[in-house]
Amino acid sequence: MTHSTNFLRLLSLLIFIVLLALIPRYAQPYTIISLNSIFMYIVLTVSWAMFSGPTHYISLASAAFFGLGIYVSAILGDKLPLLVVIGFGGLISSLLALLVGLSSLRLRGMYFTIFTFGLSELIRHSVLWWEVNETGTVGRWVIAVDNTTVYYVMLAILLITLVVTYIIKHSKYGLALLSIGESEEAADHIGINVNALKIIIFAVGTFFMGATGAIMATRWSYIDPSIAFNPLFSFMPVLMAIFGGVGQIFGQVLGAAVLTLLADLLLTKLPYYYMLLYGVILIIVILFLPKGLVGLKEEVKLWLRGMKQRYENT
Amino acid sequence: MNDRVKYFKLIACIILLVFFTTFPFTAFSQTKDKIRIGTAISLSGPYAPGAGMTQIPNYNMWVEEVNAKGGLLIKKLNKRLPVELITYDDKSDIGTAVKLVEKLILEDKVDLLLPPWGTAMHFAIAPVVTKYGYPVMGPTVSSEKLREIAHKVPYFFGILNMPREQGAALADLLEELEVKKVALIYVADAYGIEWTGKVAPDLGLKKMDVVILKSYPLDTKDLSPLLKTIKAAEVDAVLCMSYPNDTFLITKQAKELGLNPKLFYLGVGVAFPVYKQMFGGPNAVEGIMGAGAWNPRVPYPGAKEYFERHVKRWKTEPDRWGSAFAYASLQILEQAIEKVGSIDRKKIRDCIATQTFPTVIGPVRFEGGFNVQSPGEIGQWQKGEFEVVAAKEKRTAKPIFPKPSWP
Amino acid sequence: MSLTLLLDILIGGLMMGGLYALIAVGLSLQYGVARVLNVSHGEFIMLGAFATYSLYILFGMNPLLSLVVSGPFIFIVGFLIHRTLFKRLKRLSPTMDAFEGSSLLASFGLLFIIQNVALLIWGSDVKGYSYLSKPVNFFGAVYAANRLVALLFAILIGIIFYYFLKRTRVGKAIRAAAQDVTTAQLMGVNIHFVLGLCFGLGALMAGIAGSLTSMMFEITPLIGFPYTIIAIIAVVLGGLGNILGSLIGGFILGLIGNIVMYIHPGLSLIAYYLIFLLLLLIKPTGILGK
Repeated sequence: MTHSTNFLRLLSLLIFIVLLALIPRYAQPYTIISLNSIFMYIVLTVSWAMFSGPTHYISLASAAFFGLGIYVSAILGDKLPLLVVIGFGGLISSLLALLVGLSSLRLRGMYFTIFTFGLSELIRHSVLWWEVNETGTVGRWVIAVDNTTVYYVMLAILLITLVVTYIIKHSKYGLALLSIGESEEAADHIGINVNALKIIIFAVGTFFMGATGAIMATRWSYIDPSIAFNPLFSFMPVLMAIFGGVGQIFGQVLGAAVLTLLADLLLTKLPYYYMLLYGVILIIVILFLPKGLVGLKEEVKLWLRGMKQRYENT
Repeated sequence: MNDRVKYFKLIACIILLVFFTTFPFTAFSQTKDKIRIGTAISLSGPYAPGAGMTQIPNYNMWVEEVNAKGGLLIKKLNKRLPVELITYDDKSDIGTAVKLVEKLILEDKVDLLLPPWGTAMHFAIAPVVTKYGYPVMGPTVSSEKLREIAHKVPYFFGILNMPREQGAALADLLEELEVKKVALIYVADAYGIEWTGKVAPDLGLKKMDVVILKSYPLDTKDLSPLLKTIKAAEVDAVLCMSYPNDTFLITKQAKELGLNPKLFYLGVGVAFPVYKQMFGGPNAVEGIMGAGAWNPRVPYPGAKEYFERHVKRWKTEPDRWGSAFAYASLQILEQAIEKVGSIDRKKIRDCIATQTFPTVIGPVRFEGGFNVQSPGEIGQWQKGEFEVVAAKEKRTAKPIFPKPSWP
Repeated sequence: MSLTLLLDILIGGLMMGGLYALIAVGLSLQYGVARVLNVSHGEFIMLGAFATYSLYILFGMNPLLSLVVSGPFIFIVGFLIHRTLFKRLKRLSPTMDAFEGSSLLASFGLLFIIQNVALLIWGSDVKGYSYLSKPVNFFGAVYAANRLVALLFAILIGIIFYYFLKRTRVGKAIRAAAQDVTTAQLMGVNIHFVLGLCFGLGALMAGIAGSLTSMMFEITPLIGFPYTIIAIIAVVLGGLGNILGSLIGGFILGLIGNIVMYIHPGLSLIAYYLIFLLLLLIKPTGILGK
């Protein structure tokens, strides 16, 4: 890779970011709202994949961390400045993640996955029970923040998440995570502190989930446990990552962006069929694109080559 | 991966981004030859049954009736403009609902909005419609919390009766019927919590003994343990602040367990026409009381005709609570537009806030954003019709007490 | 504590437990043998419920009789789904872990599809009918007649299935495959047929459970997923891959749920999850797991 190509790549990336930053100025007003959702799902997907991607420990607890951020916003939103609340949301989610990580160290594979799911649901029902019987309410109001501020905060969180995941991936820790995914015993044997690494990376990812929850809560103005800890926030990042291609950051981003846009499109154009189409597309991708969308190019190439050979043979 | 390819990919993304964000796709359809009304409502998800019963048929029927006349009368343009209704599915999810309402306002640029279903949804969109200045009347929101924030959301009106009045009416009724021991259970959701929060103290004030007071989860599958406990307590009245799913569940299980209190009151759902069929016919629900009080015999002009039109159009009766309120809110909207003479949303809002409107639920007037014409109203199924038994002045029939045994 | 109350809690718990056991065994067949953690399991329950409802409303067919009609249909649907979707996925997956992951996702896709189809066919409002909706006196405690019938039926199905597993050739093949798929294949078992059979049987169990629930509860396209959760908990409780364990797990959950419900209705789900999580931390292989 030459220096000039490197420079060009960086420059175009910068232009792209600047354009995104200027969107509130020149774009249609609804675009900000649309992009907010997309950014949110990209962050959730990428931060999920930070840990679950290379290690193959599929976590279904994203909703718990996201929801925690939402509740931090609901409870502290009117008492502290916005950025502090967001930081807090991230921090508390990370703390929860540390606890979860420590307690589930012995669990592998499917057991880990259903453990995380059970935990997320336990939190949801416990918060609900507490709110109903102790606080005497179900929902909470969140201080509203204008859409442009939300957009900039989300954009910032998105960029930071991408930078962090890129750094981790291309560092020795990224390699270590991959080796844990291949064979945890072997990784342990060659001296990687498997437990520490798992817990720390898990907590790093969940920080961004919590921060995102804290800012997105301001968009909804009214939240309750079913909204905040909706299991869909746990499933969708997994689906999106695998749909786009969990091995590459670009795949994760693409999967989140495409599926979010697809859902929006289907929801407004075909309200009675969108779930059906969503499911069909999901199955088609799983069947024919095992590497996700990023594998599409390769699959098409292979398919074309196959067609060409067959044509030449006849 | 080839670097040059990556570079071009990026440029392509940038161009696409600029295009999609700046191109005003919807500007092309903006000729003023019709009125576009948008609604994001639950077509799927747990709120769908309620929405599909109470609001959606009334929205659609009203639009059809208006268009049959040629449209809404816009005096300033000296003509009628037909109405186009745009319906989105909010999937019973608040985030989606908020986003879709903003889409309707900002992208589809609708002239007016109609509300979604349920207290939580109304809470969520009240600030949004106020921010963009769209007057909305909520027929399926009943929460005292709304009173607390009403001053912050002047574009939002609650037309349905509120827990404060409903609780009082229920307590008065129980007092009149000399009920002494009460069991009060409620769904663990905003609706149940608030209603119980109003009714329980009222009952206490009237020296009634609330021996059981318990909440149950929203998606409960089985309440027989709770109902058995209530049966053992031998109370005079069983009050359930329930949502449609649990209303049906409780009624069914009470029948199966032989729980037969002298007074049986349930919340949302009792007023649904399907309620009088699903337990084996109208006999089965004889004497059961529920939230809401409206039937085609109420003395308001247009009530009976509305009922008949609904049956003719949808082959099913409107429900005896929210339906009429939803339809009334549309009548008010139509009358307000006529009075104002145009689609000036601010003027329409002011008109709704100050004037009195004749509707199928009576003359409606809003004070501080809330309908003061329909105070506490309780109904009771008698011989296949949902009679108004409270408030006392509005009765269409005397309450049956005690409730006859299950057939 | 009076005998009546004790009986109440016990029998009430067994009633729900019977249903949960049925559902859990169904999922166990699908996961333990075919290795598909089918999150759309609950949707088959929902389909069974709607099928019975429709047959009752349209033809006045006795709900128990309708099983004869809807049962084979749901079985065939399940079998075909396995043949077309999961068999192909298995072929494409390099490792068992990869297959488990991709089949989990595929079953999500199925969940979306089936729910939407049900929404289109039956609509979103609440449906229900009245069958045997009378109180029955049982040693002083009162139960709904339809629940007793459901419990008896579930036990009947359980016994039939037990004999099927123990006494028939196909049953033996299933048990072999449940122990070790590769060895079973080596021993001459037509493995793909057996896997499809198990998946279909799992769907059948769900469908039967759904038909039984339709007598007792209301039906909407959304009722499926909560049952799936309970099935997963029961299967883990009993030991992943152990069919008898899932049966026991289902009964235990039913009992515990009922007991907790007498304390406070809102706590039963929390109790389920707590047990689930503690079990995973202490003995993840479950009660009967290896």
